[in-house]
Amino acid sequence: MKQLTTVESMYSCVRCGACREACPTLSITGREADGPRGRVLMARNLIEGVIPVNDEIKEQLDRCLLCSACVDACPVDVAVPDIVMMAKEKISEVRPQEGVTGIVGKWVFRKLLPFPKRLQKLGHLLWIYQKSGLQMVVRKLRVLKLLSESLQQMERAMPEILPPSRRNPHPLFTPSDRKDLKGSSHSAPRAALFQGCIMDMMFRSTNENTIRFLAQSGFDVVTPGQQVCCGALHTHNGEKDTALELAKRNIEVFEQANVDYIVSNAGGCGAMLREYEELFRDDPEWLPRARQFCQKVKDVSEVAVQKGTIPQAAGQGERITYQPSCHLQYVMGVKDAPKKILRSVADAQYVELPEAGYCCGSAGIYNLLQEQMANDILDKKMGNVAKTRANVIVTANPGCLLQMKMGIERAGMQGSVEAVHIVDYIVEAMERNKQSQTAEDQEELQKQSV
Amino acid sequence: MDGRVILRLEQLFGKERVLTNQTDLMTYSYDASFATQLEPKEPEIVVIPQSTEEISACVKLANEYQVPLYPRGAGTAQTGGPVPVMGGIVMDLSRMNRILEIDHKNMQAIIEPGVVQANLNNALKEYGLFFPPDPGSAKMCTIGGMVANNSSGLRAVKYGNTRFYVLGLEVVLPTGDVIVTGGSKSKALKSVSGYDLAHLMVGSEGTLGIITKLRLKVLPLPSRRGIVLCSFSKLEQAGEAVNELFRSGILPSALEIMDQQCTKAANLMRPQLALPENEALLVIEADGSKEEVASQVKRITEVISKFTDYVKFSDEPEECQQLWQARQIVGAATGRLKPGGFRVYGGEDICVPLSRLPETLRKIHEIARSYNIVCAIYGHIGDGNLHTSPVINRRDKEEIENAKKMIEDIHRLAIEMEGTTTAEHGVGIVRAQYMEIEHGTALEVMKAIKRTLDPNNILNPGKMALPV
Repeated sequence: MKQLTTVESMYSCVRCGACREACPTLSITGREADGPRGRVLMARNLIEGVIPVNDEIKEQLDRCLLCSACVDACPVDVAVPDIVMMAKEKISEVRPQEGVTGIVGKWVFRKLLPFPKRLQKLGHLLWIYQKSGLQMVVRKLRVLKLLSESLQQMERAMPEILPPSRRNPHPLFTPSDRKDLKGSSHSAPRAALFQGCIMDMMFRSTNENTIRFLAQSGFDVVTPGQQVCCGALHTHNGEKDTALELAKRNIEVFEQANVDYIVSNAGGCGAMLREYEELFRDDPEWLPRARQFCQKVKDVSEVAVQKGTIPQAAGQGERITYQPSCHLQYVMGVKDAPKKILRSVADAQYVELPEAGYCCGSAGIYNLLQEQMANDILDKKMGNVAKTRANVIVTANPGCLLQMKMGIERAGMQGSVEAVHIVDYIVEAMERNKQSQTAEDQEELQKQSV
Repeated sequence: MDGRVILRLEQLFGKERVLTNQTDLMTYSYDASFATQLEPKEPEIVVIPQSTEEISACVKLANEYQVPLYPRGAGTAQTGGPVPVMGGIVMDLSRMNRILEIDHKNMQAIIEPGVVQANLNNALKEYGLFFPPDPGSAKMCTIGGMVANNSSGLRAVKYGNTRFYVLGLEVVLPTGDVIVTGGSKSKALKSVSGYDLAHLMVGSEGTLGIITKLRLKVLPLPSRRGIVLCSFSKLEQAGEAVNELFRSGILPSALEIMDQQCTKAANLMRPQLALPENEALLVIEADGSKEEVASQVKRITEVISKFTDYVKFSDEPEECQQLWQARQIVGAATGRLKPGGFRVYGGEDICVPLSRLPETLRKIHEIARSYNIVCAIYGHIGDGNLHTSPVINRRDKEEIENAKKMIEDIHRLAIEMEGTTTAEHGVGIVRAQYMEIEHGTALEVMKAIKRTLDPNNILNPGKMALPV
């Protein structure tokens, strides 16, 4: 749990400026109001009632990506995103979001995301959209461009949805591939896959690959079917009650699963799961259960590096670079594990991405709400990608993945650069390695038989 | 403010780089000083320039309309130096952050004023070079600000302050004219030609000109460092040990002291450090080649061992990192001395003669006790520079008042000890009241220089006890 409450942390900022160089929005405009110190002061003035709620202050606070890079840089851990959220809650109390956005938002947060079955149905619709030719029509007519350029680019970056027949529930149990344990009395550590809501609908194969990767890394993998959305989007959009309900449900489900680790493959979800303890800060009944839950939460790369083995994998001579997920690096504190895995891939060259610490601009739905800023951030990011001359950008969160795909489109790098999730990249490389091993083994056998 | 000023500025910079929103003005009302936490000062306009030409035109415009203009870097000052105490225009120079040239053959770098210290050093590393002045804020402060305040840090004991590394400056004068100091076409590493105007600008805190380009001297980067960590039951022993080190012909690259409250705070933040909570902890650094460091560490340890049994040392990079941790975290850790503690930056930069250090430390603690304020002291004992760190509750009005009085007492004490109120942070608004007592008639000369260069009193007025 955090040492300071949000209010205490708000009053601890001495404005030393250690956050300045970490902040992506400040790096774009250079305006102090686009930096963490400025945001803490604006939020404080709003919360204290020194300044009234108005369009200007709302717009300013909405420009924060909530990426937490500043918290990581702060010597006294001032929780800038929490402070900004607190101010935004005050704004929505005074002026609740009205109109279509408000209604649609509420429907999505309360009636869609919490229900896996409804999400799967949405998945069916998207699949129909992609397969029926409607997508082609939409693209040809450039309907979406009328709404927003980002929306259009996002539609293009959308992954191919698997057909309903291939989206059955994941197997409840997948045994570890560890050969040394076969027949021994020791059992492999148990890892539960946290499948996520949108993740499981849109990036179904990444979840399947995560199970494969974990099994190969030495874990027995459990995927409880009753799990629900982590609640991150709810927390970031002032829907705290729904977030609490979702958290309780997940805590119960994963307690019953009786596992050593709860593994996420999306930095955004993992960070939220780690924050359950904070969510129940003032709830003595749920706090101990939340704490136990949080201690088990690990990112897929983290758990493989720390508690499993890195599977052998082989590339095909490509240059790879890594764009970290902010929630993974700053909230979960996982910085080196993904790089360690990528460096271990044979026949691929890992190159460090300059200014990798900056958010890519995805940040939940920020890229739709703050189009200009998000695009500026993304274009700068793609400039840095170009410097690496990498063919593959590896990411660790679905939002970042979509954003990098959009970035590739924007920069006209299609064909020369691709963006992939770390698990998908590694599993492919793992299988390539296995195939070449088998081929070598057969060659060896043939030689011996000759 | 004359509406035409905004219009003219918008013509000059474009609307995007002229800020007049309530939120923008609010966020340029502070730096890192305690004083501006309590009393923020909002500008009327903020501008973000990108070139010397823009700056020169802006200064001329400010003269035309008689509007005060305040240059600002990253706003990490602890003095209120960049805040607009008399309204007017704040000029944010942090976007002029290009490294223009690293001329490694001539051991110099040419940069814009908004380059952050750590970013320059990252770029220099490739060439095996470094820019030595290293304030605690190296990761965020701009070098323009460092020059304007002649700042320094841990390694000043060996490498001196920013002044030593300034070869030449391009400066927009308070009238808008542009000059180049240190020889307009010179790339020489030494020059005694003419009045030393570059060094008149160093430490002038934005009152005599706006620095727009810097030519800096750089040094070979030492390949290694070694650390000696030692603890003393009495402050006086630490003082004697430092004296003995110098007399033995040793010049460490850093020579730091932490008092009992500091070690307590560091232990609270990182219990695994397990530092002995004695009256004084010294952290001593040696740098150079592997052999030089090994031999220096050995000699330092020999000298120190005459004064205390608690000595740890290493010249292995990882172990050094461990030993250095205590010093690294102390600034942030002091807040832990009190629940919900807020570390006050005030009275934070005094400097006294080495011989009077133990006495000064004891007296500061007496002052703190008299106001019932928790207080930790650390600093650069190698040059007598102490960073006092009072810790208060930010929302306790009485404690804030007491802290203000305590800051005043600490500054008076520094002068009484034949020292100064500021060694590396600057004067700004927070130490202006001591200028006369520190400088006597020399202050009159400073005022005369200011009047000559800035007849309309446009640049950063209301600072350093200069005429308003």
